[in-house]
Order: sequence, then C-alpha cells, then structure tokens
Amino acid sequence: MVHVGDILPTFELGFVDPEAMKVWSKALRDPNPIHLDREAVKAAGLGDRRINPGPANVAYIINMLTAAFPGKQVGALDARFLDNVFEGEAVVAGGTVSAVDGSAVDCEIWLDALGRGRVVGGTARMVDP
Amino acid sequence: MIEDLPPAPDVAGTSLSGRESVTISSAANADLCRSTGVEPASDGSAHHIWYFIATQTGMGKTVAGLCEACDFDVNDGPLMGGSRVLFQKPIRCDTPYRVEGEIRSIMRKRSRKLGVMDLMEYELRLVSEAGEPVLATINSWALPRRELA
Repeated sequence: MVHVGDILPTFELGFVDPEAMKVWSKALRDPNPIHLDREAVKAAGLGDRRINPGPANVAYIINMLTAAFPGKQVGALDARFLDNVFEGEAVVAGGTVSAVDGSAVDCEIWLDALGRGRVVGGTARMVDP
Repeated sequence: MIEDLPPAPDVAGTSLSGRESVTISSAANADLCRSTGVEPASDGSAHHIWYFIATQTGMGKTVAGLCEACDFDVNDGPLMGGSRVLFQKPIRCDTPYRVEGEIRSIMRKRSRKLGVMDLMEYELRLVSEAGEPVLATINSWALPRRELA
C-alpha cells in the first residue's frame, strides 16, 4: 500500500558524462553549444563545465518514478529547472508521496546535485496504464 | 525599470506544428535510456522523456529556428525554465506521430541571475497519425538579453 508521506527510493547517477550530452544533443537536434563546448559555457557566464541538457535531468527523475511504481506510468509531470547540472557531477533523484487518489499517486519530485543542492523540483502523477 | 526596455517580440500564436511525422526508433530509445543509466522497456514503449524530445524534433521549427522567431541567437544560450506534460497514452517506439503546437506567450523580465531576459512559453501536442491525442506539453525557456543588460 502507498501512503501519503512515503519516501520513494532514490535513483542515483554518480557521474554526469559529457559523452551522454552528445547523445542528447543529437536526439534533441539541439545546437546549443553550452552542452558541448566549455568555451561557450564560459562565454555565457555560466561556469566552466559543460551543462547537461535540461530534459536529461527530468529523465533521471522519471527513472526514479518508474522504478518506485512498477506497473504504473507517468500520467502528468511538472518540472521546474532551478539550476544547471554540470559535467562530472553526481545527481540523486527522489520524491515523496503527496496524495493518493484511487489508483493514482501524486508525488513531490526533485533532483539534487550532490554537494550543491536542488537543481530540479516539481510534481508528478503516477497512474495505471 | 522594465518600462525602459523595448518590448519583447510579438510572437504569441506563431505556429509550431510540424510538417513531417516523427518516429522514435527502438535503437534511438535504447541509446537514450542507457545514457540515463537504465535499460529500455521490453514492451515497445519509449522512455517517457521522449515527450520532450519527440515534440521538439517534430515541431515545425528547429531549436535555432524557434530562437530566431523570438529574435534570439541560439548561440547566446537559451535556458530551460520549466516543462509540464500530460500524457493520455504511452509513447511507442517505431510508431509515427505528428506534432501540433504554437508559441503561447513571451514576456520581458529582469532577473537577478540573468539580467534582462525574455521568458517564452510554447505548447506542443503529440498526436497519432489518425489524430488521436497522445500528450500535451508546455515548456518555458529563458532567453537572456545581454545586449539590454
């Protein structure tokens, strides 16, 4: 049984790989150089490490949700991007149950960059297929 | 004062509907799943994050073209502000979809972190080739206007 306040098992990625950013840039057909070129990140005043594409950060949270609720699927999701995730960082996706409505489960969700804090926050609803 | 700034470009309502269908190959889904640290599902469903990727790649403009429509150079580094999605059906691999959508709004603001920026919001809908809705997503991007800082 799922209860309000339940803490969901975390999903952890120990190293945000800049090679994976290339996979994402290709899939997204996104030429934004901040994902591929450190000089572009510096020129934009955003640090000196390549920046993970935002949807990849949401994907880690989805991985957490689908592992926490086998047999359910994401019905809705609302993600707010609070900060960037940089190459080489370790990230942890987590969540708590905020409401249970029949077979639907509402959750608070987040992604933290270890040592820096929250980088994505939001909500999700898990539903039966 | 924001009143001192020129207005944001008048782009609300600009169509983003795609002209060609988009299909997620099983191989592309597998590559993407593995890049996030998980294996692809064995039932033919695509990772949910394709809601963002499939709509972005299937819309009627490239990322650079969307930025250009907002009078913004993609090389100046657009930043994602948020993303919402409501699924009506799972996304399937090797299935053609169409994308419909439009720019909803654009608003010029001052940000402590980015200086002057435009906050642009657009909606995209993924539909089957028969026209059945699969999902709707609303994304927001921050477009830093360093030239106005």
